[in-house]
Formats: sequence, C-alpha cells, structure tokens
Amino acid sequence: MTLSEAQATATILQSAAIRVQNVTKRFGRDGQQTVALRDVSLTVKPSEFLCVVGRSGCGKSTLLNLIADLDRPSEGFIDVGARKVGVMFQEASLFPWLTVRGNIDLALKLSGVPKDLRADRIQELLETVQLSGMGAKRPHELSGGMRQRVALARTLAQDCEILLMDEPFASLDAITRDAMHEQTERIWAERHLTIVFVTHNVREAARLANRVIVMKPAPGRIGSQFSIDIPRPRRMEDLSVATSAADLHELLQEQEAGHE
Amino acid sequence: MSEYATRPQKRATAGTERGAQLAVPRGKRLWDRTWPPLLAVIIALLIWQIVVLSGWRPEYVLPAPLTVGQTLVGQFGEPKFWLAVATTLNRALVGFAISVLLGSAIGIAVSRSRVLRSAIGSLITGLQTMPSIAWFPLAILLFGLSEQAIAFVVVLGAAPSIANGVVSGVDDVSPQLQRVAQVLGAKGMSMYRHVMIPAALPSYVAGLKQGWAFAWRSLMAGELLVIIASRPSLGVQLQFFREFANAPGLLSIMLVILLIGVLVDSIFSSVANGVRSRRGMGVVRL
Repeated sequence: MTLSEAQATATILQSAAIRVQNVTKRFGRDGQQTVALRDVSLTVKPSEFLCVVGRSGCGKSTLLNLIADLDRPSEGFIDVGARKVGVMFQEASLFPWLTVRGNIDLALKLSGVPKDLRADRIQELLETVQLSGMGAKRPHELSGGMRQRVALARTLAQDCEILLMDEPFASLDAITRDAMHEQTERIWAERHLTIVFVTHNVREAARLANRVIVMKPAPGRIGSQFSIDIPRPRRMEDLSVATSAADLHELLQEQEAGHE
Repeated sequence: MSEYATRPQKRATAGTERGAQLAVPRGKRLWDRTWPPLLAVIIALLIWQIVVLSGWRPEYVLPAPLTVGQTLVGQFGEPKFWLAVATTLNRALVGFAISVLLGSAIGIAVSRSRVLRSAIGSLITGLQTMPSIAWFPLAILLFGLSEQAIAFVVVLGAAPSIANGVVSGVDDVSPQLQRVAQVLGAKGMSMYRHVMIPAALPSYVAGLKQGWAFAWRSLMAGELLVIIASRPSLGVQLQFFREFANAPGLLSIMLVILLIGVLVDSIFSSVANGVRSRRGMGVVRL
C-alpha cells in the first residue's frame, strides 16, 4: 500500500458511517448454493440518505440484513464503527401484547435506559412521530400508517445513528406514504441520521435520497450509482423528482435488458 | 409474507366489531350472549321430557327432568354430597397443578432443545391420543387403589396437552418478531422474557384449557375404577346410585359433573379470549 493509498483509506474510514468491503453472501449448502450478493463494496457517508433500488431478488434486503448484523457475510466485511444500528421492516411488527407505550418502553429497556427516564423519553418519541395521545392504544387498533410510525419511534428509541429501512412504506396508501416521507425526512435532518432505504419504487427513491444505488440481480451486485441533488423540501409530484425517477427507471430497464 | 399481508386486515375488522359491540348497552349484550345457550338447554330438557312421556323406559330407570332437579336440590342438603364434591375438586386441583408444573417444564425443555424434540416430541403428541382409562390397570398395579394411582393418570392425561401448548406456542412465534427483538437488543434470557413467553401465551392458555378437559375426564374414569374405601367422591356417588338403582340420584350427580366441567372450561375460555382480544386476535366463542 502506497502512502497516498493509505491516506485515501484513512479518509474513507473517517468519513464513512457504513463501509461494506467486497462482501459476498451465499445461501444454502454446497452443491446447490445460491449467491445472493457478489463482491459488493459500498461506502455510506455520515448523514447521507442512501436509497437502494432494484427488482425483487436482487439482494437488497440481504444487504440490509448484513449491515444490521442479522446475518454474516460469507466473504468480505462490514464496518459501522461503534454506531448503533436501527432497522425498520415492511411490516411494523409491533409486539401485539404490548400497548404503543409498552412497545417503545421495551425498546428503551433493551437499550438500557433506566426506568425513571423512560416515561419522558416515550412522550418525546411519541411527539416526534406525531402520535402523542396514542400511547395507551394496542397495535391492532391503529391504522397501517400509525403502526409504521410506532415502529419508527421504537427504532428511534435505541438512539441509533444509522437507520436501515427495508421497504417500510410499501404497504401504505399513497397519502399516508407521502406523510411518512415528510416525517422520515424531518427526523433524518433533525437527528443527523444516516439512512439506508431499500425500495423498488424509483419515485420514492428520487423523492428521498441524496444518492441512489441501483442493484443488479442474479447474483446481486451494484449496477450503478446516481446522485440526486434536487433541493429539499421535495414532493412526490415535483417535476424534478419525476424526471429523476424516469432516469432511474430507464437505468433499471437497461440493466434488465443487459441481463437477458 | 402473504400471512403478514392479510393479518392487519383481520385485526382491523376485529377492532370494528368490538367498537360496534361497545355501543350496545351492556344488559343487551349480556342477553345476546345468554339466550342461545339458554334456549339450547330448554330444548334439551324438553326432548328429555318427551322421551320420558313416550314411555320408552319406565320412570324408575329414566326419571323426568323435574324429578332429577328435585333430587339434586335434595342432595345440596346432605354433607356427604359436599364431601364428595370437595374430594373430587381437590383431586382435580392437585392433579391439574402437578400437570401444569410438569407439562410446562417439559414443554420449555422440548422447545429449547433439538435433541429432546426429536426424542420425545412425537411421543408427547402420541400420549395425547392414548385414552387415559387404558393407564389405570398399570396405575393400580404400581400404586394400588390409592390417591397416587388417580393422580398418576390425571397427570398423564393433562400434562402432554400443556407441554404441547408450550411447544407450539414457542414454535409459532413469528420469526419477524424475533428479528425485530434481536435488532432492539434482546438476546438469551431477555429474548425469552420479553418476547418468547408473551408471544406464546395464547397457545399456552389453549393448552391449559385442553389439559383441564383431559384432567377432568381422566379423573372421572379414575374415580369409577379406583374406589377408595370410606372416601366419598363424585365417581363413588355415581357407582353407589347405580348399585342401588337410584336413577334420579345418578342423573343428578352426572349433572353436577357436567356443570363443574363446563364452569371451569368457561373460566379458561374467558381468560383465553381476554388474552386474544387484547392483541387483536379473533375471539373464539364456545
């Protein structure tokens, strides 16, 4: 390693919130293995809003699970430093035996927040996701969008610096989703979060991201990257968002054509 | 995946149903729930009365409902009856308590260990299909005509159901919930305490309910077969009335056995439904 290379590495180390280095992930036993990810390298800067798009089966969720430490890479390594990682899934997956308050309380408890501080934190988190007054409700009494907001509050309870989101709004209606985009964007800015957001919706990616990574399937790898410099606040209906989305869509289709 | 996609809808409907129910006054709701079983009982009594009136069997073999009712009320005044009820309930309670301890312990062990599961997992299910009365000859050989012989069979009848409730409850905890809990920092004991046990609770309560039903049945079989001298029980009373060809007495004891079974079962049902409705699961009426 030359001096300049070492310097470059050091800069990356400093400026990276997430570093994914030559990661390969295989599933199954010898003989009938499938390669979910092949040689994926990726750096996410602190406070970056990164969207990962690609058709289903291209390893987006696998990548997210690896960054979340829910699974281990077969080769390569992933470094998030000492940062806390929170994850949100497509289903809110609230604990149905607990109230909204109880769900957030459990997350705080598991993060080691002492009991006397938890009540205030719960109130604050409920306000952050605009659900104050809903604390006593049970998950099944809430709408899909509310449930996802509770899931967001529960994830934020961990005081995470990195937020991984796996198609969290895919099952919401358009209006609710718009509201969730606004909330996510606001919380991202307020808390200086680093977000990796997986979606198959190019418009959503163009609406939210600073940078979009397009993944190619079979085996999953990174196809191309795309910087999105549209000024915020953005709206789904903005022409610039639509244009970026169209570009992304074209890129995806080119890859598809190349794949066949 | 599809399972998750459909679930929220189900929850939503359960919520609205309950909302609608709350709007109806309480007395009306109670009445709505009471009249169908009440009507069923009345119809059953009517059919019974008609069979008696038809003269299919003489009245000293098959007495009319009213006669049985009078005998039952008469029984209430006799200390021997209450002694019998107390003995039987005491046996049921002790046997069920042992079953709960044993069944839960076995259930937890089997759900945690793969070796244990393959070793005795199917045996537990197999034991459930074994009619408890088939255990009595062995139990009598082992313990003689004693309380232990009865308890032995009651526990063998009830414990497998309870263990199964634990095992299937733990097995059915959604992997997604476990993943979420893991991301939130739950592991080992905290995973068990905060996620696995509460998530398995509805299945466990269902296991307890079924365990009770098996315990009660085994106990009745036991009390007919294992008769301990000078200790009146509901089973002994049955035998006694049969030997003296006292049909009203016999039927009145049968009614008591039925009533106790139904009463305890309804307690379990209401606990189970409380647990289920709090999490937006469908309520099972019985």
